[in-house]
Parts: sequence; structure tokens; C-alpha cells
Amino acid sequence: MTKRRMFLRMVTASLLRRRSRMLIALLSIGIGATILAGMVTIYYDVPRQMRAQMRSYGANMLLMPEAGETLNPDKLAAALEKLPGDALVGASPYRYVRLDMTSRQQSFTTAGTDFTQIRKTSPYFSVEGRYPEAPREILVGREIAETIGVKEGSDMELTWQPTARQSEGEASDDWKPGATLSGSAKGFGDAMVYVKAKLDDGARIAEIQIDASTQTPEYGGRVSEEPLFLKQFVGKSLPLQMNVEIDALSGATITSTAVVDALNGARAADAAAQPRTTRYRVTGILVTGGEEEGYVFMSTDDLQALTGEDRLDVAELSISADEEQLNAYAQALTGDGVTARLVKRVTKSETAVLGKLQALVFLVTVVVLILTMICVSTTMMAVVSERRREIGLRKALGASDNSIRGEFLGEGMFLGLLGGVLGAVLGFVFAQVVSVNVFNSSISFQPLLLPATVLVSMAIAAASCLMPIKRAVAIDPALVLKGE
Amino acid sequence: MALLELKNVSKIYGELKALDNVSIRVEKGEWVAIMGPSGSGKSTMMNIIGCMDKPTRGEVLLDGEDISKPSSKRLTDIRRDKIGLIFQQFHMVTYLTAVENVMVSQYYHSMPDEEEALEALGRVGLRERAKHLPSQLSGGEQQRVCVARALINHPELILADEPTGNLDEANENIVLDLFRQLHREGTTLIVVTHDPEVAEAAQRTIVLEHGKVAREVVNEGFEE
Repeated sequence: MTKRRMFLRMVTASLLRRRSRMLIALLSIGIGATILAGMVTIYYDVPRQMRAQMRSYGANMLLMPEAGETLNPDKLAAALEKLPGDALVGASPYRYVRLDMTSRQQSFTTAGTDFTQIRKTSPYFSVEGRYPEAPREILVGREIAETIGVKEGSDMELTWQPTARQSEGEASDDWKPGATLSGSAKGFGDAMVYVKAKLDDGARIAEIQIDASTQTPEYGGRVSEEPLFLKQFVGKSLPLQMNVEIDALSGATITSTAVVDALNGARAADAAAQPRTTRYRVTGILVTGGEEEGYVFMSTDDLQALTGEDRLDVAELSISADEEQLNAYAQALTGDGVTARLVKRVTKSETAVLGKLQALVFLVTVVVLILTMICVSTTMMAVVSERRREIGLRKALGASDNSIRGEFLGEGMFLGLLGGVLGAVLGFVFAQVVSVNVFNSSISFQPLLLPATVLVSMAIAAASCLMPIKRAVAIDPALVLKGE
Repeated sequence: MALLELKNVSKIYGELKALDNVSIRVEKGEWVAIMGPSGSGKSTMMNIIGCMDKPTRGEVLLDGEDISKPSSKRLTDIRRDKIGLIFQQFHMVTYLTAVENVMVSQYYHSMPDEEEALEALGRVGLRERAKHLPSQLSGGEQQRVCVARALINHPELILADEPTGNLDEANENIVLDLFRQLHREGTTLIVVTHDPEVAEAAQRTIVLEHGKVAREVVNEGFEE
């Protein structure tokens, strides 16, 4: 039998045959390791858990068009592509316009948004009634509801008064039969093509004039003269469908399309210039305690139908990430005419709260580790006093100080090993229970946690043994002779 | 040739002279008993011979090496290599079996060898009880295990402190018979005792009183 095997035999015999004392030491290490493993798991999992929770405080990033640019649903969707899918909690588009309620001679700020997304980015919104689901259903802020006395189920007629032209079409007379329309659109090489059309009484095109002088003369430039091309427009109503109602002039597809776009744009701009009224059904009263109570909310589709524009003013994004990541996302999102910036009020407080929570968990862990050390140290101290005679005997039998150290350290480390394995398993269970009860979500087992907990437990057990070992080494072998 | 020689050894604790200028000689293969009332300096002498204490003055030669000066680490080595100890209270590691207790001694000395340890237990008539824990053994059996443990490393000197102090007559005789066997094999034995019967079993008795050698008695009736 080798010395090592005898060493192991002695250490295990000491632990297995002196159960009660060792169980206490094992229990304290095990509990310490449990708390350690649990706390470490929570420490790393809390930000993830809490971030999800904190998203209920509202959007933490805003996406806006850069100066001179516009934002629309397509651009928003393109920008959101840049975010990792699991980080984005929700993205609410917003378009704010002033709508009139002519019957009451009032006007309200109306937000066009996405009611599915709004529930994710602003979960604190509370609706008396229900969120709109069908077209022409709206939410009304409590303040407005009280002012004009509308309730869930009331109808409201809202009117849009265009004030300024938004499209590229030039100013023209009112949209009515017999009017002249003029518009422009980008043709070949991004150069402008200008179109003028005279309408007859039935709002059909009576005459068309094209200025394509910016286009290549032998290709696009021919659209203004080619009778077969021009003839197609006469007698048709706007808007026109390319390739259905109008065929492109061969060799001048881009310029031909520009002509149709210019006419359609002019028509849309003209149409957009008309006040329009729609009747809406109020499905709920919005209660937020904030300025939102002074707004009317409708879907972007409804607002677009009313105004003829798909423009957005801002998008509120709720992203699950820490401040550093958010900054990185903001940087990634910025560009292509949009700017992203953080809602500092939300991100700062979120970071602060998480930091404090982590500090608390850290502190508790440290305290528990110190308590574990004290407990194990005390137990080992008791073990040493209990085994004074045995230690004296071993020394009398020729054990060197290092042998004594080795044996006690061996027992301590073995306890640390057992306690660590026990603790890693129980700690995960503990963290899981905490997570399920406090955060309502489960956590995944970190494989690294097992070796880490075992190592830390062994180190703590070893550290706890230092004082007791010092005492053991100081024991005088002669005491075994004195008949104590 | 002397295995052990104390030359003018004194051990002084403050005012108290536990040993006062003591000189004794123990030959290789000799069996010596040390007697004396409590406080006569027996324990002090035992500690010094057992390399667990150092004298205040004087020289102690064990197998030619001075053991009155070295570091405690060196003393531990000498004790381990040359001395087998037997105690009044037996002193076994409570959570190890009889054979494991014997092996502990081998472990600190050189290499644990279960076969050899079992043989040693066989010599003291306890081979059948090898797997028992101390709590399952009688006092006499425990002391016999301790004898096996003391002789397992073939020490030059077996130093026994009241080895029969806690034993009944029958067990006392078994232990004394074991000593006789060891003596016949040439092992040097020093037995500290109160019991005249145990002392009489030795070749020679040294009587201590007040830290001095009062007298030495050669046992005429010693049977080889």
C-alpha cells in the first residue's frame, strides 16, 4: 500500500467514522456553497431578469429622422433589422398630427401608432375598455374623454386639415375636375422629369406636357415627343398604374416610370391638400397619469388613410440590454437618415438600480462566505481540541508538522469538495426557486458553476483550516505520556 | 555497548528541579524498569528519553547520537526511527481499525504494509480482531495493539509508560510475556512503572526519588 492510499484511507475514515462532527462542518460548507452558487447564479442572471422587468418602465431608445429626412415604416423596419432579434422587446412608431373635431370646435393631438407594439414599449398604459383591433377604432386619453364627454363605444368624427404640402409635387389648384396638375419625379440618372396635365370635367387627363430635357435625348428625352407614348395618357384617370394602363417607351423605361410617378405624385399631393373627415369608434379610454391622456391614439394605417402620408415622427424602442450595449445599438441604428438616441432617464436609472442590486447580492455573498469560514473554522477548531490526544499520538509516533498539516488540510479539502458539489447542485435549485418566485422565469444551468463552486469551497475550507492547523501543530506530543 | 546514556542530566522548571544531575546507562538488549513515586521525575526522564523534551543541562546519548540538543524536527525523526512507544492510556486513533492503527506507525516511519501489520497483530494474538475499531476491543486488546504498533518498525528501543497500569492481571501477564519475547529477540526495553511486579520482570530497576537516582536494583530472579 502506498503512502497516498494510506493518507486517503485515514482522511476518509476520519470523515466517515466520525460522522456527527464532520456532518456539521460539511453542512456549513454545503450551505455556504449553496448560497454562493445560488447568489453567483442570481448575480449573473439578475441583470437579464431585471432588464426584462425594467422594460415595463417604457422605451429606452428613440429613433428619429435626421434633419431634412423623413422616417417611414419601411425605413423603421430596415433599421430594426440591425438589432439582434432577442434584444428588441418592442418598437412603437409614432406620427403626431393635429385633428379637428368640428362638431365640438376642438382639436386634439393625435398619435398614429401600432397598438400591438405600444403594449410592449409602454406596458404601463392602462386602458379602460380595450385596445383598438379593427380599422377606424381609436383610444382617447382620459383628459379629452372628460372634456368632451366621450365614453367607450362613442363615435367621434375627426377631420384632417392639410396645412402644408409634403410631397414633391408643386403647388397647384384645388383637386377638382378641369384643373391642371403638375408634378415631378426622378428619372434616369436621378435627374428630374417634369409633367403637367390638364384634366377634363370627369377628372380624366385631357392633355399632357412633359419636360424631359434632363434625360438622354435619344432615349429618355423622346418621351416628350413620342405620340404613341403620350396618347396612352389621354382619357385616363389618376392614379395610373405602370405596365397596366401605361406601357413604357422602349429604351426609356426609367423615364417613362418617372412620368407616371410625377403624375401620381401630383395627384396625391393635390388630394392630400383636401380636408378629410372620418368617423371613428372609441374602444377605450387611455389612463397613464401622463401627457398621453391629452392625446387621441389611432393605428398608423388609419392615420395614413386620413392624411395620405406614411410619414413617422419618431419610433420608441424598448430594448433589453445594458447601457453599454444600448450605446452600441444606438450607433448601429444611426445612419440612412435616422438617428437613435437613448432615453437617459430610463437607461440611467435602470443601470443604477441594477448596479445597486448586484452590489447587494455581492455583499450578501461575501458575508455568507465569511460566516461559512467562521463556522467551518470553529468546527475544525473543535475538531482539533477533540483530537488533541490523537494529534499528540501521531506526533509521538513520528508525524512531522507537515504530516499533521497535510492530514488536516486533506480533511478540510475533502469536506470542501463534498460541500462544493452539494452546494453547486443545491445552489442551482436555490437560484431556480428564487428566480421562479421573484422573477417568474427559470434560469439555465451554467456548467462552469460546478467546478467554480467546488474550487471556491475547497479554498474556503482550506482557509478555514489554517487557524485550527496552527493549533494542531503546536500540540506537544509529550501530552500522551502524562496520562491526560 | 550502551544504547542509552544520560550524563549529569538536569531538567529545571523555574525553582523545581524535576531531574537533578542524573546519570544512567542502558545497554543494548537490556530490559530496565524505572520506578519511583509521583513527582520523582519519571515522566520528565521518559519525555527526554522519548525525544519529546530536552534537558536543561547534561548530555543524552541514544545509539551514539546526542539527543539533548537537536531541533524538535530532528528529535521527531530520531523518535520515529529508533523508539517504539507504549502508553498507559493505550492511545489509539479511535476511528481507525486495529490494523490501521498499526499501519499509521508504518505510515509515518516508511511505507504502510497491511500484511506486515497483520503479522504484528498475529504476534500479539489479535489477528482475528484486526478489522475491529478500538471501541470494539477490550483494554487488554487495545494495549496489545499498541505493543504491535510499537514493534512494527523494529525500533532500537521500546519505551513503555505504565504499560499495565490500566490492565487486569491476565492482560498484564500477556503484555509482560510479550516484553519477554521482545527481550529474547534483543530489543532494548525501558518500562516506567509503579508496579513492583512489573519492575521485577525486568533485569534491572532504577529507582528515582526527588529527581535523583535513589538506587539501582538488579533482579536476581530474572528469567531469560
